[in-house]
Amino acid sequence: MILFAMSIYWHLPFMLLVISLVYSATRHEDWNDILVEAFRWGIRMFGFMAIVGVVLFGVTWLFLR
Amino acid sequence: MSSAPIANPSSAPREPEPWAAFLSYLIPGLGQIVQGRYGKGTLFMASLLGMFMLGQGMGDWSNVYVYAESNDPNRGPKTAGALMNRWHYAGQFWIGVAAWPALVQHFEVWVPGRDTYPLINNFQRMPREADVNILFQNSDKTPDLGWVYTVIAGMLNLLVIYDAYAGPMFPAITRKPDGKTDPSPTTQTKTEGAA
Repeated sequence: MILFAMSIYWHLPFMLLVISLVYSATRHEDWNDILVEAFRWGIRMFGFMAIVGVVLFGVTWLFLR
Repeated sequence: MSSAPIANPSSAPREPEPWAAFLSYLIPGLGQIVQGRYGKGTLFMASLLGMFMLGQGMGDWSNVYVYAESNDPNRGPKTAGALMNRWHYAGQFWIGVAAWPALVQHFEVWVPGRDTYPLINNFQRMPREADVNILFQNSDKTPDLGWVYTVIAGMLNLLVIYDAYAGPMFPAITRKPDGKTDPSPTTQTKTEGAA
């Protein structure tokens, strides 16, 4: 718990991995297809969270400095 | 060249299998394992149960419970408004047996004695408000993320249950010797059934 207490963002890679893998495995049967789809969803989710993070950082920097 | 499709090793369900779906509800991935899809079953079991347990641990094992509005019998059933006041359990419920102790505690089917079973006495029982306040005051956002993990695990298991019931959305593709692809028997059966 000490490692987790450092930053809640340590959880994000784990959450991305599990969600993308499980979701992809329910869409495909072949493992190659599962891994390719999981990688794509991982990139999409990471990109979405990165955009949200940049927007929030921008709002904070502009208005809450 | 022969155009006969190669036998597909996939054991995805060819027609709906409610029992496999029920088994996957009880324990994530169990339905897939019974169907012979060991890899996917193990992946679902380890991922979702691991995520659910990790989420509980992050919340100091006090974030999976059914909200008890009142223990006063004159105020109607104890479950009235429980999910309205705290909807988390509506998502957590779908992880299966792992969330049943909350129901056992809520309906007081069996209350583990504090002295006899000290480790599970309060397991998935609604925590006291004072204890929750202390937990949140003395930690960062980790407990908040913990209940999110437990809800996501339950929601993802809905997809797993459907996968056990009717197979994946995109069945495995069989490669023929001439390089062309053929849908798996699952798709063929569905197509023939539709026709």
